[in-house]
Amino acid sequence: MAENGESSGPPRPSRGPAAAQGPASAPAEPKIIKVTVKTPKEKEEFAVPENSSVQQFKEAISKRFKSQTDQLVLIFAGKILKDQDTLIQHGIHDGLTVHLVIKSQNRPQGQSTQPSNAAGTNTTSASTPRSNSTSISTNSNPFGLGSLGGLAGLSSLGLSSTNFSELQNQMQQQLLSSPEMMIQIMENPFVQSMLSNPDLMRQLIMANPQMQQLIQRNPEISHLLNNPDIMRQTLEIARNPAMMQEMMRNQDLALSNLESIPGGYNALRRMYTDIQEPMLNAAQEQFGGNPFASVGSSSSSGEGTQPSRTENRDPLPNPWAPPPATQSSATTSTTTSSGSGSGSSSNSATGNTVAAANYVASIFSTPGMQSLLQQITENPQLIQNMLSAPYMRSMMQSLSQNPDLAAQMMLNSPVFTANPQLQEQMRPQLPAFLQQMQNPDTLSAMSNPRAMQALMQIQQGLQTLATEAPGLIPSFTPGVGVGVLGTAIGPVGPVTPIGPIGPIVPFTPIGPIGPIGPTGPAGPGSTGSGGPPGPTVSSSTPNETTSPTSESGPNQQFIQQMVQALAGANPPQLPNPEVRFQQQLEQLNAMGFLNREANLQALIATGGDINAAIERLLGSQPS
Amino acid sequence: MVRKQFSRRTGYCCVRKQLEGIWHTSIVVHKDEFFFGSGGISSCPPGGTLLGPPDSVVDVGSTEVTEELFLEYLSSLGESLFRSEAYNLFEHNCNTFTNEVAQFLTGRKIPSYITDLPSEILSTPFGQALRPLLDSIQIQPPGGSPVGRPNGQS
Repeated sequence: MAENGESSGPPRPSRGPAAAQGPASAPAEPKIIKVTVKTPKEKEEFAVPENSSVQQFKEAISKRFKSQTDQLVLIFAGKILKDQDTLIQHGIHDGLTVHLVIKSQNRPQGQSTQPSNAAGTNTTSASTPRSNSTSISTNSNPFGLGSLGGLAGLSSLGLSSTNFSELQNQMQQQLLSSPEMMIQIMENPFVQSMLSNPDLMRQLIMANPQMQQLIQRNPEISHLLNNPDIMRQTLEIARNPAMMQEMMRNQDLALSNLESIPGGYNALRRMYTDIQEPMLNAAQEQFGGNPFASVGSSSSSGEGTQPSRTENRDPLPNPWAPPPATQSSATTSTTTSSGSGSGSSSNSATGNTVAAANYVASIFSTPGMQSLLQQITENPQLIQNMLSAPYMRSMMQSLSQNPDLAAQMMLNSPVFTANPQLQEQMRPQLPAFLQQMQNPDTLSAMSNPRAMQALMQIQQGLQTLATEAPGLIPSFTPGVGVGVLGTAIGPVGPVTPIGPIGPIVPFTPIGPIGPIGPTGPAGPGSTGSGGPPGPTVSSSTPNETTSPTSESGPNQQFIQQMVQALAGANPPQLPNPEVRFQQQLEQLNAMGFLNREANLQALIATGGDINAAIERLLGSQPS
Repeated sequence: MVRKQFSRRTGYCCVRKQLEGIWHTSIVVHKDEFFFGSGGISSCPPGGTLLGPPDSVVDVGSTEVTEELFLEYLSSLGESLFRSEAYNLFEHNCNTFTNEVAQFLTGRKIPSYITDLPSEILSTPFGQALRPLLDSIQIQPPGGSPVGRPNGQS
């Protein structure tokens, strides 16, 4: 019974003369012995000198098994072979078998990790059940486009008028549980740029009332959120799924280490109940999952000292972490995938309230989406639901408070990449634009299919004009015109202006025409001036997909003309920022910020919020 | 400390060879019992399957392998050699598993009368006649939970 492992095969005459001559290495008769190394999956034979050390043995093994030496754990006769031992020491002779375990990633020997680098959540966990269908989660896309499409698609597939939030949660879960989707999302440069904006992240998080409560109770969290370095780092981590995984693992290890410290376990539990649970609840409400599963725990990794858990937490409620106990509902997602063309194309922004507007763009460029969008008009209720979802509101709010963010989002859209001029034009309009989005009238108008149809008519009319009277409207492309006016998320593709309603984006006319609130979109001729009604439509005009290419120049002029014509009817509502911010500027001056230009910029960027402006100013100073 | 447990089930069935029992074995390590059945590798508290506490316990030895390492090893096994589909009552059964794991942990095998059982049975004409039937038997003692499979089968 005292066998030491199996025999690997016919014993080789390894102590032959060749061995006696000494193949390199040590003096004193280095015999070559053949040792079988057996993993759970395979086994291989190795010829090594008898007196080699375990370390050398591992090196040979690592080459053959294509792993690193520190991933290898050798076991013989129930003992783990340490690097500095020798084979002889353990009685490993010729023909015997040594067991090998190749550690995948973790180091189970409880090595202490760098807890400060542990990221919050696990984005791509490989072991979640795959849902290869992609769910269109319409999470608070500020412009409502992708969500509309998604919802419409879903409704057409039989999920009529469910509670939107629930639906979205389900979809998010579906999305989140698919690592491939997550990877795709993360790789989307737009998303990444989103994530890399710490201010934005902070805002979004703060917008959640439960988070606010949490922060009140635990001021450390607010420190965390306010520290741009931390945010940046965690955002970077969030962007890199592999890194996230590493962080997660490190975190888990640190946690488990912590548990073993006397009293440490209690500290952990306390932290969990204090921090994690409320965050869990907060996040769950929004995202239907447990994005903070490791966020809370991260707070305890490290030495349990709170300040040191700086970079552990991903401040972003990370919806990309598939919650351990989540039941992903397959219904919605699978039906969606059947409705929408290719699976990859119907990815949609999820989780993050900072959805990927760009995603929407890519989504729309598929014919599948086009048909989905058609269905939008058929189900206004969906749109209402969607728009009134709580996080949509918070998203809108945060966007309106942070025009920069909105600018980024919009300008990153492919619509604008082709036309920097458009970008410039859009930029100043964004605050007003966002205001409009918050306008409930906007929302209701958006959900009004007739209104949208009317807008379609407008565009048709414009196109007709363009063909009939080209002299009047030099090379006017309705799509572009209207696109300039407001679409943030129009697919750049060849979608014709007429046809399925493109991204339904409320847009504001360029220029001084601010939110033309309740005058409503209506049909042609409803606007102040009698000009072509296209750009004048106020709050909610569904915009066609745009082809913002080379014709933008003359189009812009045209639009500007129209806009100015309308401007006569509507007094500008956005006075000169200097005037607007007069009071704030004075305050800033009094506080010692003497650079008027910079103050003004900061105020504009923050929409008049003094505190935020101060932070911007401080942040821009070398520190 | 590693203990090994057997469950004894009497099996006579006209084999004309006295069988003491058809042994189901499992291995207990780190206070958990692990066994292999048609549902793959499973674990339970010692004696926690429906078969109850063991008939005999054989101490195989002691191991330095840590629990985590062991679990990782088990999940590799569960993916490669001891998938649930791989179960075969005669040739690749719980005893195979127990034997394999025992060697991994301690370097020792389990008693040969256990591992030789299938060949003993098959050496009788009766056994051979019944072989197709016996081959299709899938044994999974209830009471365990799956170990290390990504999709948590069974």
